[in-house]
Amino acid sequence: MSHRQRTGLTRLGRYLRGRWGFVTWLVLVATGSAAAQSGGWLLVRAAIDDGIGKGDRGTLTTVVAVYLVVNLGGWLCQLMLIRGLASVGQGIVLGLRRDLFDHLTSLSLRYFSEQRAGWIIARVTSDVDAISDALSQGLPTLVSNVVLLPTTIVVLFVVDWRLGLVAMVILPPTLILSRWFQRMSAVAQLDVRNRIASVTAQVAESVSGMAIVQAFNRERQFQAQFDELNAENRTSNVWAQKLFSVFFPSIELLGAISTCAVLVVGAHLLGSGELTIGTLITAIYLLQLVFQPLQELSDVYGQLQAAAAAMVKITSVLDTEPDIGDRPGARPIGPIEGAIDLDAVSFAYGQTDVLHDIEIHVPPGGCIALVGQTGGGKSTLAKLIARFYDPRAGVVRVDGTDLREVELNGYRRQLGVVLQDPFLFSGTIADNIRFARPEATDEEVRDTAAAIGLDRLLRRLHGGLGHEVREGGAGLSAGERQLISIARALLANPRILILDEATSNIDRPTEVVIERALDRLLHGRSSVIIAHRLATVRRADAVLVVERGRIVQRGTPAELAAAEGPFQQLAGALETPADLPAADAGARRSAVSARGRR
Amino acid sequence: MNPFDPEDYPLRPTVRRLARLWWDERRLVLIGLACALAYSALTLTVSVLIQRAIDGAIVSGSGGELWPYIVAIMALAVARFWVNYTRRFATSRVGIRLEARLRQMLYAGYLRFPRAFYDQHPTGQVVSRATNDLFPIRYFIGWGVVQGFQSAMMILGGVIVLALVNPRLTLYSAVATPLIGFVAWRFAHLVMPISRRVQAAKGDVTEAADEAVVGIEMVQAFGREDDVRHRFGGKAASVRDIVVRQASVEAKHLPALFFLPTLSIAAVVFFGGRDVIAGRLTIGEFVLFNTILLQLTWPLEALGWILNLAQRAIASAGRTFAWLEEVPRLPEPEHPRDLPAGPLGVTFAGVHFAYPGEEEVLEGIDLDLQPGEIVAVCGGTGAGKSTLLNLLPRFYDPTEGSVRLGGVDLREVPLATVRDAVAVITQRPILFSITLRENLTSGRPDAPWEEVEAMCVAAGVADFAPDLPDGYDTLIGERGVNLSGGQRQRVALARALVTGARVIVLDDPLSAVDTHTEHDLVMRLRPAVEGRTVLVAAQRLSTLALADRAVVLEDGRLVEDGRPADLLEGKAAFAGLFGDEAGVA
Repeated sequence: MSHRQRTGLTRLGRYLRGRWGFVTWLVLVATGSAAAQSGGWLLVRAAIDDGIGKGDRGTLTTVVAVYLVVNLGGWLCQLMLIRGLASVGQGIVLGLRRDLFDHLTSLSLRYFSEQRAGWIIARVTSDVDAISDALSQGLPTLVSNVVLLPTTIVVLFVVDWRLGLVAMVILPPTLILSRWFQRMSAVAQLDVRNRIASVTAQVAESVSGMAIVQAFNRERQFQAQFDELNAENRTSNVWAQKLFSVFFPSIELLGAISTCAVLVVGAHLLGSGELTIGTLITAIYLLQLVFQPLQELSDVYGQLQAAAAAMVKITSVLDTEPDIGDRPGARPIGPIEGAIDLDAVSFAYGQTDVLHDIEIHVPPGGCIALVGQTGGGKSTLAKLIARFYDPRAGVVRVDGTDLREVELNGYRRQLGVVLQDPFLFSGTIADNIRFARPEATDEEVRDTAAAIGLDRLLRRLHGGLGHEVREGGAGLSAGERQLISIARALLANPRILILDEATSNIDRPTEVVIERALDRLLHGRSSVIIAHRLATVRRADAVLVVERGRIVQRGTPAELAAAEGPFQQLAGALETPADLPAADAGARRSAVSARGRR
Repeated sequence: MNPFDPEDYPLRPTVRRLARLWWDERRLVLIGLACALAYSALTLTVSVLIQRAIDGAIVSGSGGELWPYIVAIMALAVARFWVNYTRRFATSRVGIRLEARLRQMLYAGYLRFPRAFYDQHPTGQVVSRATNDLFPIRYFIGWGVVQGFQSAMMILGGVIVLALVNPRLTLYSAVATPLIGFVAWRFAHLVMPISRRVQAAKGDVTEAADEAVVGIEMVQAFGREDDVRHRFGGKAASVRDIVVRQASVEAKHLPALFFLPTLSIAAVVFFGGRDVIAGRLTIGEFVLFNTILLQLTWPLEALGWILNLAQRAIASAGRTFAWLEEVPRLPEPEHPRDLPAGPLGVTFAGVHFAYPGEEEVLEGIDLDLQPGEIVAVCGGTGAGKSTLLNLLPRFYDPTEGSVRLGGVDLREVPLATVRDAVAVITQRPILFSITLRENLTSGRPDAPWEEVEAMCVAAGVADFAPDLPDGYDTLIGERGVNLSGGQRQRVALARALVTGARVIVLDDPLSAVDTHTEHDLVMRLRPAVEGRTVLVAAQRLSTLALADRAVVLEDGRLVEDGRPADLLEGKAAFAGLFGDEAGVA
């Protein structure tokens, strides 16, 4: 544990670069504040012994005035301390959060497919927040009390060493009690956090799946599951509160015991004339100052522990090396022509190859279609072309250059990618279309939207292009989201366009509009199309049938349709929809050919 | 005013309802109050005893015995320990119980709120109302109320004790103390809006992180990493700015809470000291003043916190009660009728529908499905297909016209009966984070396994389930295996089939499945839905192969109705939608 914490601390220390002078200043300020708090009582002693005891009103007035000035100084010190620590602490948090996020976005898709999204997001949010809480709430308490405790004990010894010893007798049991409480409550707090997290997860899952819960009349089962979690959360809360309910009264009891001890010892020493009444009274109050830091430190202990645990998890992310990135000596890439070559490419996510010895050659401006059953490896092929992954064996080349030798960012900015379940970012529809080219004018956005028939949808929505997209595109149908993401890809003005099941939820007439737009907009650019709907692949120059990681057939759409083989089988599913009752296939075909082929 | 987003409950009814819930725990409440009273009395007595000990046994020349005082102080301190423990534990349990009860009531409400409610509120808001939003209520009820009472008792008792000893000194020394309460209240008052803004800013950070992580493929595909980093960095910086602002409010108020008590000490030392010199005050009484004034610091501070906590708790309770009381549920019939036995026909009669505050989506739909008939609803993107389908399980009621099952208006049948009879597959399949097996049977937990297996074969789940790490016992979702879109759709399909519902609503159920697999599934599905009435929204001709009949929805009206093959031959809407797809290759 201590080793882990050290790695965490050294990482945080990095964000203090150039501010060490300020940090030293803050430590001095904290010492000043503690000195004022415990030193004030020395002045009270002087007032009692030198002023009141001797009947000297002048001294009394002077001492009280000094007392007020000292406390005023303490006030100022605390004020500076709180502000200074916040500025230092939040500087650390901001640096950490940015570095973590920058690092995350540079990790490859492999990382994101292996880790759950929720897990990754928690690192940037709740874990960094835990460190932030510890720094902004815990740190002031920690710093002032860590300084206050020894200062007070020193002052006690200065006041009278025998009363100081009394404090030293009381201190060990108090420390043991605090330690016990810290341990117990850290466990209890962790339990409480886990329980409330389960409750939250249950509520979140039922709320987002409410349509199904209600449609299947599962309300009672969900209520029962929830009640159980809610009761567990209650029980663990009760236990945590019980610990608190024992601890604070115990500290109070120890305080009373120490007061009695001081009274007994003090009375004895007073009787023998070795102690003044002022010293005795001061000691009683100083002892309370010993208990206060212990109590407050126990309060922040849980926070510090949570922060340490969070730092361990954050470190694990920061230590993940990006496996796709610019190699040393990667060259910038200029505008590309769009020739794509896959030479003897094999690829594996884990141990077993999912692509075997793939050869694909697309001339600049060419269009290929990948067809085949789900899970055959079509999407993986597209991802290799976008260099989300590097091949295990073989080379992916664009314009004859190995993709691993060019700068990733410059290459990807010339790509347009559309996925089956496209992700929409928060903001307006226009923002989403403009995502890949933020500098595009309103007119360009409008034109692109109109070109693919998105304008019809926009008329229906409040605000048109200015319509605000809700979380993840809720409120828009799958087809509508696909349309928006196609507009996004087109506006990017890509040299290579990759459409991965991009139109599966779009009705056929709209798809035809999109295809016409693509023909126009993508003139002279290369494209890779993955489609379920075979009508979609007719615009391709070449169709490749992918099965179990191999290309089993290739040719023009017409050739494949004519030849016996896997493509005919795939197409057959549609070609003889015997299931359409009493269909006259001939009549249907003639109706279609009348519509014309490209 | 949208009925699904009601205004917060007003102050008085909120307080009344909260008080009723509080009083339900009256045994613990009364224990807490009694202990608070005892605690105040014990604490003040201990202080007085210390004064007596100093004056009567310690100061030279007093000559009294110290031991009786020490024993008495110790006895009272032990008693105070028990009283304090009992108060804290009893009171905090009241808060915890009340929080759990409110959460349970909210959750029970959530399970019954209609879809229209969920269209209005983002998931995060609904979730936090049942979790974080309840915390102020727990703190207020579980600590604030009784602590407030105890603080008041302490202050009252302390002032009485001091006034009995020396009224003039009480006046001088206590002048600054009410400021403590004021500063605490003012601080809480100022810091609350800021900490709400901190929460909101953190929410923005979460959202930005969430988008970047979930949308990472898009971000990287277009090489826009720098944009999202810049955006995220900006959000993170605004969190820092607000937290630093919060710290500056803290810096202005919190040190004052340490400084103000020292003013009282100074006053006691100065005025009290002069009284001691003049012989009007004993040294023990001098100590008593200091002790009690220090003891009053916390109760005064606490009153400030509690006042603020009360405001937050009542605001939060007001929101909670508003949802519990005001959100309209779908009305249940007063004289419920039952559905006829056997296969059910479905009728849409003059159905109009508009989402609250929006234009009509359905403008008069008349559609009859014979029992056992399979009808496809076709139409362009955004034509209203899903809306039409959502009326059948009564997710919404039509704004005009009626939807009937077996001739009975849905609104005359208990909701649970409707939903037993109708199984739904939503466009985006929703699965729960439980095992595949539990997901499959979640619509009918007592389904015999052979039947489930048969449906899995029909829906194509059997094609991939055995390859999962634990087969049918594989955990699905965030903590388990992520299924692909097509696999999720097939599980949802099997789940709906397993229920044995007499009516099935399928919203583009196989859009993420490749055409070849879909063809296989459609062949297997037809026997599986034999005898059930099916309404299916379809985007592809291959899905339509399932249907006996197709209708075309355009701009909220049905424009075509007929057998798919016949419609295809026509030159109208249906042929426009699917014509060129029929002749691929």
